[in-house]
Amino acid sequence: MLVVAALAVSAILLHPTAVPNDLSLGAVDADEIFGAELVAKAERYERFLYVDWVLAQIALLATLVLYARRGAAFTRESAAGPIGTGMLLGMLGLAIVWLVQLPFRLAAHWWDRRYGLTDLDYLTWVYDDWAVLGAEFLSICVALLIVMGLARWLGEGWWLPGVAVFVGIAALFTFVAPYLDFTTERLDDETLVAAAERYEQELGVSDIPIRVEVVSEDTDQANAYAYGFGPSRRVVLWDTILQDPFSSGEQKVVLAHELAHHSEEHLPKGLGWFVLFAVPGAWILMRATRGRGGMGMPQAVPVALVVVAVLQLASAPAANWVSRRMEAEADWKALQVTEDPASLEDVMIGLAETSLGDPDPPGWVQLLLGTHPSLEDRVAMARAWEARNGR
Amino acid sequence: MAVAPQDRPIRLVVRDGDLHRSRLTVFFRLLLALPHLVWLILWWITAMLLVVVVWIVAIALGRVPSPLHRYLAAYMRYASHVRAYLLLAANPFPGFVGRPGYPVEVVIDPPARQRRLTVLFRYPLALPAFVLSVWLVLFPVPFGYVATAVPGMVALVVAVFAWAACLVLGRMPRGLNDLLVYGIGYGAQVAGYFWLLTDRYPNADPELAARSLELHPVRAVVRDGLERSRLTVLFRLLLALPHLFWLTLWGIAALGALIAAWAVALVRGQVPGSLHRFLAAYIRYRAHVTAFITVVGGPFPGFVGAAGSYPVDIEIHPPARQHRAKTLFRLLLALPAAVIAYPLGYVLLLVAVGSWIYSLVLGRAPQGLRNLGVACIRYHTQLNTYLFLLTDHYPFASPALEDRREAHALPLATPALGETF
Repeated sequence: MLVVAALAVSAILLHPTAVPNDLSLGAVDADEIFGAELVAKAERYERFLYVDWVLAQIALLATLVLYARRGAAFTRESAAGPIGTGMLLGMLGLAIVWLVQLPFRLAAHWWDRRYGLTDLDYLTWVYDDWAVLGAEFLSICVALLIVMGLARWLGEGWWLPGVAVFVGIAALFTFVAPYLDFTTERLDDETLVAAAERYEQELGVSDIPIRVEVVSEDTDQANAYAYGFGPSRRVVLWDTILQDPFSSGEQKVVLAHELAHHSEEHLPKGLGWFVLFAVPGAWILMRATRGRGGMGMPQAVPVALVVVAVLQLASAPAANWVSRRMEAEADWKALQVTEDPASLEDVMIGLAETSLGDPDPPGWVQLLLGTHPSLEDRVAMARAWEARNGR
Repeated sequence: MAVAPQDRPIRLVVRDGDLHRSRLTVFFRLLLALPHLVWLILWWITAMLLVVVVWIVAIALGRVPSPLHRYLAAYMRYASHVRAYLLLAANPFPGFVGRPGYPVEVVIDPPARQRRLTVLFRYPLALPAFVLSVWLVLFPVPFGYVATAVPGMVALVVAVFAWAACLVLGRMPRGLNDLLVYGIGYGAQVAGYFWLLTDRYPNADPELAARSLELHPVRAVVRDGLERSRLTVLFRLLLALPHLFWLTLWGIAALGALIAAWAVALVRGQVPGSLHRFLAAYIRYRAHVTAFITVVGGPFPGFVGAAGSYPVDIEIHPPARQHRAKTLFRLLLALPAAVIAYPLGYVLLLVAVGSWIYSLVLGRAPQGLRNLGVACIRYHTQLNTYLFLLTDHYPFASPALEDRREAHALPLATPALGETF
């Protein structure tokens, strides 16, 4: 009860954003803003990916359910102790999922190439995919080492200290990640640097380095992100956003949006939300693996994988809702400091052009995959800000 | 693990019991071999012309006619004599006609029926074995003079050290000799397959060739079957990532322990038990992980290097007194073994690639490659135990997995010491 009460209070504390509660987004005509041809093209492009994603999820869950039933047989392939064997089962689960998902990812990559969204050849793509799998293997080993180690030590009481350890690790990685970045370059556009300083002042933050990541050799898609917290805060702009079709005003809006993530403490708040999701998730995991002797036993690992996958899918609407609220807040703050709703609107058009984002995706897509408000909603917010501020 | 050399259509007979070498002929061995190399080229040219005819006839008839078989067999026998002489695996100057009776002798069965399909695709089929033989011993003869004269990396390195050892000792070190004999035997099998003398695929199993295993305090114990899970084989390298990560961390600690052990061993003449146990577990764990990565071992290993915890295991004797001078100059003394271990590392890589493909297709590891892999891992482990001061016994290069000297001892009336392949 105490835990539930603490979670509820935390959720209430984390919930408010700078976006006015009474703000109502008016209807906008996507065809008029983005052009009917672009909207149709984006919808065609996204529709394929939606179907691909759904099929991939079905395959993923079916595979994991099957693995949960039969995966324990792989314990005979291990000469390691319980935790080592658990690691093997975890890695094999990921390996099977990787194999099963390969055709779907390949199809998506083929589709991206067909629409000119990536220049990455298939060989490089497979190599990159393989490298990602390697990182996932290491991650799951660390995760299982923690969970199984705690479960063997504390029994069923592992879940609460387990969450504490994972939150600690997540916080550590969020903090340290910017210091481990050796691939980005310093932003040398003086106009943008000056704008960044002005926005920082207005947003009440200071000394946030702006970096540029060169991705234009592989893709035309545009993006930017904020990461780190405290002294490690950074903003990274893809070099594609510093090129056509994005104007200087649009680049400034993007910059302000990313700085707003820092000014509104979205990364620490994200960690807070992570706790809110992780606590019940860990508890469910503990309960679900009881039948296999609990998380201290390697036989429980295949079950744990399917439970985690289901939990991720089930919590996606809530997690995406949180994420969308943060993005909307960053948009709102960006509008406040740039006072340039037209540029925000143009950024959205540019994103639709370069990334072929569907301006108005189906409701279920936003629910399960929408980490950002739809492009249409973001344009509507720009217009709402304009109307509210009489510009 | 037992294999029967006498079942092989191409096998090696070794009659070199005392391993005596004449220092004078050893010193000038390369120059003395020159007339043989010239003669070998001439013979090779005729054999090359002939093999095209043999190939067509074998496809048509499903067998190689006896006269052609005899000619190619004599050439192959002669080539192996020259290799053995050049590499110091044998002492007497060989004859020029490949007559039987040389101390390192290739025995080739009379012609038998061969499957036409394997004859038709003989050369692509032989490619994996060819690549391994290139590393182990001389380049197979069909590839010309340069190829004939240039030894494979393992044989070259071993022969150089053997040359120095023979000059000093007047006899061939047994471990080096066994390794060379094994290489020559495997090379003969590959060449016989190339020259269409048999359709039996070359077997890399060291058990077929090697005769001796010195009582070394570091031994390999194999309790593993050959069955492999295709899934764990497919993702073998990625599955090993946590082990490689852990091995790196442990390696840092082991280095610190090694320095401490070295200092203590210099003073007390013995590595303390606790340090010995710590370092032995690390070395054993390295061997387990190597076996897993190279598909020499099947299951996923544990993380603590416990003795007996892995089916391809390493037995390490408890700490014993060590010669202080050997401890002081350990790094320098280990250099020759390290140089030999280097090309053997590439052999292990080939074993890994071959076993990976084979296991992925058939769900089991090839016994020959598995055993060769065990031999390579054991040699590397012996080198590591020597470097990490767990023993002052020098690494023993023989690829034999079991001591078969007793089993192969024949009555004195029989000149052969043992049939190897």
